Amino acid sequence: MPMSDSPTLSPLDQIAEAPADHYRVLKISDLDGDRLLELSRFMKLSLSREDMLAVQEIYREWEREPTDVELEVIAQTWSEHCKHRIFGATITHEIDGATETVDSLFKTYIRDVSQRIFDKKPGFVLSAFHDNAGFIALDENLAICLKAETHNHPSAIEPYAGANTGLGGVIRDILGAGKGAKPIGSLDVFCFGAPDTAMDHIKAEDVIHPLGVMRGVVRGVRDYGNRMGIPTISGAIQFDDAYIYNPLVFCGTAGVIPIQDIDKKIEAGMKVIAVGGRTGRDGLHGATFSSAALDTDSHESDQQAVQIGNPIEEKKAADFVLAARDKGLIGFITDCGAGGFSSAAGEMLEECGGTIDLDQVKLKEPGLVSWEVFISESQERMVLAVDESALPELRKLADLYETELTELGSADGSGILKVTHHGRTVCQLDCTKLHDAPVRTLSSRWEKKTAAVDAPVLTHAGAALRDLFTDFAIVSREPIIREYDHEVQGNTVLKPLAGASGDAPQDAAVLRISGSERLMSMSVAILPEWGKTDPYAMGAACVDECVRQLVASGADPDRLAILDNFCVGNPEDEEELGALVETVKGIAAAAEAYGAPFVSGKDSFYNYFETEDGPVSIPVTILISGMGIVEEAAHVIGASLRREDSLLAIIGRTGAALGGSVFARRHDLGNAEVPATSFDEAFQCYRQYYEAVKQGLILSAHDVGEGGLAVTLAEAAFSGKAGLEIDLCSLPMDDDASKAAMLFGESPSRLVIEVAPENLEKVAKLFDGLPFAALGRATSRHANLVVDWGEETLINESLTDLKSLWKNGLAQYY
Amino acid sequence: MEERPCAVLLKFPGTNCDAETARALEEVGFVTETLPVSALTPEKLVGVALVVLSGGFSYGDYVMSGRIASLVTEQKIGATLGEFRDNGGFILGICNGFQILTQLGLLPPGSLVENASGRFQCQWVRLKNLAPTNPYLAHLPEEFEFPIAHAEGRFVTKEAAEAAAYVENGAAALTYLDEVNGSFADIAGLQDESGRVFGLMPHPERFLHRRDHYDPDWKGAGDDESRGAGYYFFRSLHQSISQSN
Repeated sequence: MPMSDSPTLSPLDQIAEAPADHYRVLKISDLDGDRLLELSRFMKLSLSREDMLAVQEIYREWEREPTDVELEVIAQTWSEHCKHRIFGATITHEIDGATETVDSLFKTYIRDVSQRIFDKKPGFVLSAFHDNAGFIALDENLAICLKAETHNHPSAIEPYAGANTGLGGVIRDILGAGKGAKPIGSLDVFCFGAPDTAMDHIKAEDVIHPLGVMRGVVRGVRDYGNRMGIPTISGAIQFDDAYIYNPLVFCGTAGVIPIQDIDKKIEAGMKVIAVGGRTGRDGLHGATFSSAALDTDSHESDQQAVQIGNPIEEKKAADFVLAARDKGLIGFITDCGAGGFSSAAGEMLEECGGTIDLDQVKLKEPGLVSWEVFISESQERMVLAVDESALPELRKLADLYETELTELGSADGSGILKVTHHGRTVCQLDCTKLHDAPVRTLSSRWEKKTAAVDAPVLTHAGAALRDLFTDFAIVSREPIIREYDHEVQGNTVLKPLAGASGDAPQDAAVLRISGSERLMSMSVAILPEWGKTDPYAMGAACVDECVRQLVASGADPDRLAILDNFCVGNPEDEEELGALVETVKGIAAAAEAYGAPFVSGKDSFYNYFETEDGPVSIPVTILISGMGIVEEAAHVIGASLRREDSLLAIIGRTGAALGGSVFARRHDLGNAEVPATSFDEAFQCYRQYYEAVKQGLILSAHDVGEGGLAVTLAEAAFSGKAGLEIDLCSLPMDDDASKAAMLFGESPSRLVIEVAPENLEKVAKLFDGLPFAALGRATSRHANLVVDWGEETLINESLTDLKSLWKNGLAQYY
Repeated sequence: MEERPCAVLLKFPGTNCDAETARALEEVGFVTETLPVSALTPEKLVGVALVVLSGGFSYGDYVMSGRIASLVTEQKIGATLGEFRDNGGFILGICNGFQILTQLGLLPPGSLVENASGRFQCQWVRLKNLAPTNPYLAHLPEEFEFPIAHAEGRFVTKEAAEAAAYVENGAAALTYLDEVNGSFADIAGLQDESGRVFGLMPHPERFLHRRDHYDPDWKGAGDDESRGAGYYFFRSLHQSISQSN
């Protein structure tokens, strides 16, 4: 056999200057766009042709070739995951035929909107967008923060480990916020396929059945949160076929910090140290992996990008960090998340510059090459900058809490990020250049998808109500909630399940904050069904629902802050991007009207799956999570009926639109109009409600959400305290609202409140000129939900039966 | 001024209820010191009235819960805890602490294994006080509620009869009023013969205030309506220790 001239070389070997070593210099200056793209794919950099050409240009200016470490660093920093380039893109957006240009969704609709609110409320938001999490002032001494992240791709491939490290990661975000915030509560929001999905309904190999995904994800969250000792207090689950291939896993954590510890800075001469777990080959390319679509091969080849969490390692690091912060030993801190040391050190040294010595890094296994050490996303690691004089005491603390402390390098004021390994410089980058990614240009379009659809004639409203209580959107999440320790730290005043029976659903959770008289309320809102036909309405309603839940639980409507977490399919698809643009506009309009600024946010793209029949995308999904300040414990209001002699009233107007509702989905109403949100009227109502709370006039309040008014009333009565007798005759509503809309429509901005008979008049007076009406009363004469329309009885159902449907709907699957 | 008794809270990697437990102890009049196990020596227990093993997941509890913590404790201080008890000291184990005390052999024989449900259970439970003269339970009524949060709280003995005997002979100081996790004889908490060593799965430190209860209309316990049953648990202990000195 004839010998070939040379063995087949990988794209890397072909351009490497020297044989494989712990790092390589790559000759890219002469490559054309195709070859550059090939290189990007081979190295799994997830950089586009334009990005690679920009990199090439930078190196041409510098008159040298990059090392593989440098390319990896640039790929990490420019990845969608780290840089949110679609939110920074210039988008030509076509809406119902008209064209507009959006110069960065982030700047236009998130940052600028929030900045205007900050200016109106001086001293309230203490930090936003630049740190790991945004802070708001709780009182004169303490601040609270909240951060939410997604971990979708890892959870699709390895549900337990993906969700496990998803929560672990966001907890580290809090530990790395300011000079280290104490994590005090977590939220988790999931989107799955339905648990009863038929196996042959799944059209791709190796996709994990939704039931397997759900069980794995819940256990992953459970085992991290419970071991860390952070109560998981808030959450939601959406079930929809669209999430079978791309389940969504949002994890969020709240923290508390002394205000004086929010500002952190790094100065030349400070030492850079790592604390916590060791570095290994696990989690390579997590950031770039999450910036690409999934396919069947992902289930095999990308396993390396998913890791196993070790919460005890993180708990030890957390104990160390909080002790070090209290002793004033921390100058700067951040977590090792996506991009590992390269991101953490990059963030830390981007202005100051400094040297990192990879020989100092403690490894899980020998033989890692330079780029692997530098970008590995091994879990449970924090990076700190500290004064050299603090090192001895920090070492003592590390010994005390049994965590490993490693000196990595130092800051030098040069503005250059320099990385050495085995005595050679493997990376030397001007940090300012490092953070300039090319601005993308994209096009999007959206056309109105809703139409007037006649509401179905309700022949048996009671049966329709029972039917809703079997829907996965509505059934009790109790089996899952009880797997999470939601009371550790001993501060969960309003628990996710409460009321006289201890198992009734609540709208928000409220935490006592040690060291303050004030409390923190936390809630989430997610309505993907709305966005399928009206993304703007979805965005607006999500902000409204989140705000309303916070206010319902007793938070001051003028002291709320929210987060936006987006999940999108393919941003190169004009319609999907168009839905995103409309959603962003919706949340921005609502946030501005309510004066609830965004203080942090995150986006996840490429949530689509390549099947043989073409890509399957998720609907544009927005999670709004929020935090609010409750002035005192006496203001905390639960969502469950408390007395058998009380009166019920409704705040807010009921519209005719049924679109987006669970009822509409179950009755195939397709593209029915989705309710719009009237911000000004709604916010006036919330302020008046808060007045009533402060005057002690509210016994309980439940937001009208999925399932509409009838479901809300029944849920309130699941406390088992009393039956309900309701008459809808005086319900504030639009003239064209059908009975279906009155009972099951999901018009936003509505609250059902319970008041003592002697207080009804006082409360009604507060709502003078606003949509408000007495609806009926609690009763001890029976345990039914009775809803009349004048002489006609629409619903007369046993609450015990409804509750049993509600409690057992998910229990059989989890 | 009355001298406040000193409580040491032993903290293992993974212990996570130490802060709220310290807060509860301080609220009833203890001074507390939270001691990471890496710094544990026999001398640290000198002058101490109470050692507390609080809840959490020591070393992750990946092998049998409490097992590694008990081995590390024995390695660090040998039989010091037993001597501490013999000299009049009090030892309290809550949740993971109960599991560790069981592993250390400081409580009547038995094990805490996976709940019959196979799940982690975070819920409130009704409890029966079978030892109203026990130093930890003196101020508590015959029936009260505490929250639980555990995956391995099912108390078992080699023979079911042993657990039944604990109820007869008073070792089982606290039982569940409902079926909760499959514990033999519904045992929720155990005392040793001295009554000074006490382990329980429920979390008294999470119920210091009326507002900690899930029902907003729950009426307080004991002589102060704003207090929860957990407060009286710790107050009983404080009073017993103050009287024993």
